[in-house]
Amino acid sequence: MTKDAAFDTVIVGAGVAGALIAKHLTDAGLTVLVLEAGPGTSRGLDDYTRHLERFHAASAKSPESPWPPAVGAPQPDTTALRDNDGYFVQRGPNPYGSSYTRLWGGSTLHWLGVSLRMLPEDFRMRSRHGVGRDWPLDYTALAPYYGRAEREIGVSADVADQSYLGVTFPEGYDYPMRRVPPSYADRVLAAAVDGMPVTLGDEEIAIRVRSYPAARNSIPRDGYRPAGAVDIRTDDGPSVPPRQGERCQGNTSCTPICPVQAKYHAGKTLAQADRRFLTVRVQAVASRILVDPASGAVRGIEYKRYDDPATAAHTTRIATGRTYILAAHAVENAKLMLASGLEGPRGQVGRTLMDHPALYAWGLAPLDIGAYRGPQSTSGIEDLRGGAFRARHAAFRFDVGNDGWRASTGAPDTAVSDAVMARNLFGPALRAQLGATLPRHVRLSLAVEQLPDPDNRVSIDPACLDPLGNPRPVIDYRIDDYTLAGMAAASDVARAVFRRAGVTDCTDPSKGSWFPSVFYRGREFRYHGMGHFAGTHAMGADPAGSVIDADQRAWEHRNLFLVGSGSFPTMGTSNPTLTLAALALRTADRLVEELAR
Amino acid sequence: MTGPADTSRLDGFVGLSALLTGFAPVQLLGTGMAAAYLAVLDAVLPEDIVGDLMSAYRQLPRGPERERAAEAEILGDPRLGPVARNLIVLWYCGAWTQLPAAWRAAFGASPLDTSRVVSAAAYQAGLQWLAAGAHAAGANPQGYGAWAIGPKSAGSSGLERGGA
Repeated sequence: MTKDAAFDTVIVGAGVAGALIAKHLTDAGLTVLVLEAGPGTSRGLDDYTRHLERFHAASAKSPESPWPPAVGAPQPDTTALRDNDGYFVQRGPNPYGSSYTRLWGGSTLHWLGVSLRMLPEDFRMRSRHGVGRDWPLDYTALAPYYGRAEREIGVSADVADQSYLGVTFPEGYDYPMRRVPPSYADRVLAAAVDGMPVTLGDEEIAIRVRSYPAARNSIPRDGYRPAGAVDIRTDDGPSVPPRQGERCQGNTSCTPICPVQAKYHAGKTLAQADRRFLTVRVQAVASRILVDPASGAVRGIEYKRYDDPATAAHTTRIATGRTYILAAHAVENAKLMLASGLEGPRGQVGRTLMDHPALYAWGLAPLDIGAYRGPQSTSGIEDLRGGAFRARHAAFRFDVGNDGWRASTGAPDTAVSDAVMARNLFGPALRAQLGATLPRHVRLSLAVEQLPDPDNRVSIDPACLDPLGNPRPVIDYRIDDYTLAGMAAASDVARAVFRRAGVTDCTDPSKGSWFPSVFYRGREFRYHGMGHFAGTHAMGADPAGSVIDADQRAWEHRNLFLVGSGSFPTMGTSNPTLTLAALALRTADRLVEELAR
Repeated sequence: MTGPADTSRLDGFVGLSALLTGFAPVQLLGTGMAAAYLAVLDAVLPEDIVGDLMSAYRQLPRGPERERAAEAEILGDPRLGPVARNLIVLWYCGAWTQLPAAWRAAFGASPLDTSRVVSAAAYQAGLQWLAAGAHAAGANPQGYGAWAIGPKSAGSSGLERGGA
């Protein structure tokens, strides 16, 4: 096996966490090798455009539709989750409903861009609410890194909207770009709903429709330069088309692909890294961590390099460095550890897998609200993310869609098909019917918190391998009563919101796109995943209850770091990217201090 | 090269499409998809069906009876109706839908008769987005902040265009 020259740091994964660390280490003059399992076809603008065309021509416009996997780096696929015949080996009892992408840029290529901070109480679930576990650091410790992460990934928001439920900002702080203008639909809903009281247990909470922070380029503040489209060409270096993607155009396609790259993806950070010190090796699938049995120190990372994404032919090599960082994804990090025989203290690697199981609610507004325009969503209902009720059931947040019933029923295509095939409409009557209904489509996503449960886990099985001979993730997953009760409460609030706003509730999971069922006290809920994989290598104050420390350093391997949302002890209700970015920047600081010594 | 016969055939196809979709011929031609959609029909269906569909269209009466006649003679016809409905969906969604099993059994199954988005361009040109006063997701965006402005029916309400 060939050994690569030693680097200061070897990073597994060219997603957001790996990219941020790579940028900060190379900025400090440290040499970094990034091993990316997938191809690098999102680096050049021409290739990126081919991904966009693939999306346009796809029949099922799933999150993965623009981003096909390589044979050597398979990935979960929303469609395959239905039949349990995809990359995941799902053992249930509930299907885990999320997917991710193995490609240069990672899943940020198709994320929505929601960049909420976690609430202070989210870090202290055990002390504050008696459930879950506490983080080894708190909001105050992470706050400066949140600020840095908001600049690094380019978040648009106004502080004036974001100070709620204990979230605080330093005097004079504001986000690097102004908030993305809320949609007309947001404003109509807000006019009806703002101030509406919601009762959860014995608490009464007033809710409102609130603009959320988004990693989508808006109008910059104070000379901030938004990062637009990336165009790295292997032969003649970076060449970024002037200004493209520096402002959101309202393509209504954050997921699965922003056509102009106005939404952040990890490739932007990689493009900013100092190329003198950075080596990115794509189509290089980490397969084993080589550890010194006596000291526990990592000696190298074995990886399989393939030339052709369409075949499994590969060669095996070893990358070496002073420190190693697994930034491959919550599932892939755990899988790689387990495949290397590294189960962590008390066998905790892969356990406490979480997501935000989410429901859709959809309805028909009394008037034209201009649906199917703008960023996929611009506002949410955030007031039920925190409160004393969390001792009894999950917190939740709503995302208010601007994309009609696309996610929930597949409209407008399905609406057309229904009108034409089932109702036999044609001509002016058809056009009028669609014109009178489509612009009134309202959709809420109800994303529900999930607690860490050791039985929810990623494991491996020597009988289940991918074409390169690497293990496929085996997933055990159950949605417990804490989350189910949260789903019930969220569903009731959604109904009340629709009633208050005069929206005709059309929520009917049997008419919606396929989603699995869960049952709670005689009610059926159809949920989907939010792509918020977390908890598989949780951080903690001591090795008894965690895999890594607050710096994301493995307790048992002192030159190994595991980063990403796998590090989260609990999930709260915020989309994990901003928090994992803040944690990555904090780890990068520690590494620079240590390696530069 | 398109000769006069092709042009007249395409004109007929656009006329039929206008009748079925409720969009004017100029709007249909403006999508740039008319010839491609006619080619889809020609490829997927036996030639006599396309010919019969066009001929049924040409024989429709003018005036107020026209729509009802189209309903009876085209959409209500067991052989032409499913094809006409597919054509409407093609224009609205840019997608061909596999014909019903009974139709395929009765009138001929083609290996090209599969449900699919016809092309990236067809997806972007879907009339459904126009009918909704919107734009195809991932294409033809309306520009920064346009989403904050109310739809035409709501009158002008342009708060926050250009920033908060």
